[in-house]
Amino acid sequence: MDFLTFMQQMVNGFSLGSMYALIAIGYTMVYGVLRLINFAHGDIMMVGAFLGYFGIAVLDLPFAAAALLAVVGSATLGMLTDKIAYKPLRNAPKISLLITAIGISFFLENAFNVFFGGVPRAFPVPDYMSHILNLGGLVFSVSSLLVPIVTLILLGGILWVLFKTKYGMAIRALAFDVNTVNLMGIDANRIIMIVFGMGSALAAVGGVFWALNYPTVEPMMGVLIGLKAFAAAVVGGIGSVTGAVLGGFIIGFTEVVVIAFMPELGGYKDAFAFVFLILVLLFKPTGILGYDFEKSRF
Amino acid sequence: MKKLATLATAAALLASFSVAKEIKIGAVMPMSGPLAAYGQVTYEGIELANELQPTLKNGDTVKLVLVDNKGDKVETSTATTRLISADGVVGILGALTSSNTAAVIAVAEKKKIPVIASVATNDKLTAKREFANRVCFMDSFQGEVIANYAISQGYKTAAVISDQAQVYSLGLAKAFEKAFTKAGGKITKEVKVTSGDKDFKAVVAQVKSANPDFMFLPLYHPEASLIARQSKDIGLNKPMFSGDGVANQTMIDLGGDAIEGYMFTDFFDYSAPPTQASKDFIAAYEKKTGKKEMNSFTALGADTYNVMLAAMNKCADPTDSVCINKEIKNTKNFEGVSGVLNIDESGNASRSAVIKEFKNGKMVYKTTVNP
Repeated sequence: MDFLTFMQQMVNGFSLGSMYALIAIGYTMVYGVLRLINFAHGDIMMVGAFLGYFGIAVLDLPFAAAALLAVVGSATLGMLTDKIAYKPLRNAPKISLLITAIGISFFLENAFNVFFGGVPRAFPVPDYMSHILNLGGLVFSVSSLLVPIVTLILLGGILWVLFKTKYGMAIRALAFDVNTVNLMGIDANRIIMIVFGMGSALAAVGGVFWALNYPTVEPMMGVLIGLKAFAAAVVGGIGSVTGAVLGGFIIGFTEVVVIAFMPELGGYKDAFAFVFLILVLLFKPTGILGYDFEKSRF
Repeated sequence: MKKLATLATAAALLASFSVAKEIKIGAVMPMSGPLAAYGQVTYEGIELANELQPTLKNGDTVKLVLVDNKGDKVETSTATTRLISADGVVGILGALTSSNTAAVIAVAEKKKIPVIASVATNDKLTAKREFANRVCFMDSFQGEVIANYAISQGYKTAAVISDQAQVYSLGLAKAFEKAFTKAGGKITKEVKVTSGDKDFKAVVAQVKSANPDFMFLPLYHPEASLIARQSKDIGLNKPMFSGDGVANQTMIDLGGDAIEGYMFTDFFDYSAPPTQASKDFIAAYEKKTGKKEMNSFTALGADTYNVMLAAMNKCADPTDSVCINKEIKNTKNFEGVSGVLNIDESGNASRSAVIKEFKNGKMVYKTTVNP
């Protein structure tokens, strides 16, 4: 493989990895406060992509407004699922919560399938987003360049919220010990809702970027992406935001490397990503940047 | 009230006995779910063919019984069992994709009910199955047509991107590679993908570095359209070719201007009706629907019905499904809506293929290839 192709593949891996990262952050944050694998997270991403689609194709909004609609809509949906489905189960066994999450995931997928059909729809990409840049033979679209930039900015934002604000302190405290947080006069339910809102908003950003780069939306799009973002969160160390981003990049690069060096096995790239997950867990069960459960996360 | 109902049922029963005998043909089609768009256009053809020829030579009427399989294999098996045991159909038309059709055949084979598939092209579908038949060509023929066309255009090297999760894709890729290499071409890059993949940037980057004369993509439209778009994004502008799996409107919607000039094989073209039967059928179709276009799946759907009906007409007892099956396999020079059909002992059809390309959001006819 020549140098140019290699660099092109690196760019591809970086762009793909950041999309996994955006979604993985949501998994990791919810896990941090609730110890819940929110399986509906991938479907929130799908809803975000659909809202962006409706914003542009149906409401005729400019792209930025449609993206905002997607973010606000998904954040609201995320908070609603917490309020309706998870909150009544705060003191129930963790397994009930997990089953509920799977239920919500199925509900969202099938509701969208019934109302909007399973046929993939073309996402209307604005021209300036699909504009192709050529840097000495390296080619990429504006949107695929934007993904890593936005991901890193959002990562910075999340870290700032977590470590520099009162809310962030509350979230970290919650991850540490729910009962004591309640004793300290912090409304744990409100903080959990905020976490769901933040995670879902990031998922919507991921969904809109996904739709920009691979311009189709369909109700089942969140399933595999969600699963891989979850794998990314686990590889990076679930509970750690920086770990989620790192995990996202690792999974993205693994896929690209499989196609680049073993094209005949390219169809098994998902399998390779998951094998990698197993290997990491064998040698470091808490994930690369995961902490011991007794200590604080994030 | 109950008495009245019983009386009404009795009267209805009596009435149905007094008219000519009614014979049922079953149709299993995905009318909802992900494949609904194709199921619906195919059934349009079956339905219209039934409206045009609702009776047999001996005066018996033929009634269609449609069951929706939702594009699902398990639903297909249940639907087939229901059609045979509850409705007592003498033959079954369907069920679009190769894998679902295989599910129909598995059930029908045991009950000795003939099946005619409209677009199931997988080579192995009819192997070792006595009651399986089809009106479409097979993937091995399709692969050959594309390979020969590519050679005739002066293309010497090809990259093949196939879907390892689809039997259709693997079979077609293999058939193409065999024919292309035999004709002197060379496969310079082979990449496998999986249905449901969205990111093909790494794949197209690999193809670009191999720099082939043209690309063969034996895929369905969701993957094919994304590959076309992502190829264009990185400036990979090689001629692209697919099988019949992309011949639909969704491909045009998803592909946009990235599929301009993209070529594919199909069974039939509306603008070049191959037989008198096609002309008549198109006229009836236009009159009924008011549309000025007809999908090739509609033509093939109509032909499954027409071949079944012709076979029934040739049997002394049109409900004898074993005889019907024998006569289906005896179809010679049949003037179908989609072209002239010959069905052999194994139930496979020998028929022409057409090559088309996408141009300005339309499917444009290029040429016809005869077997």
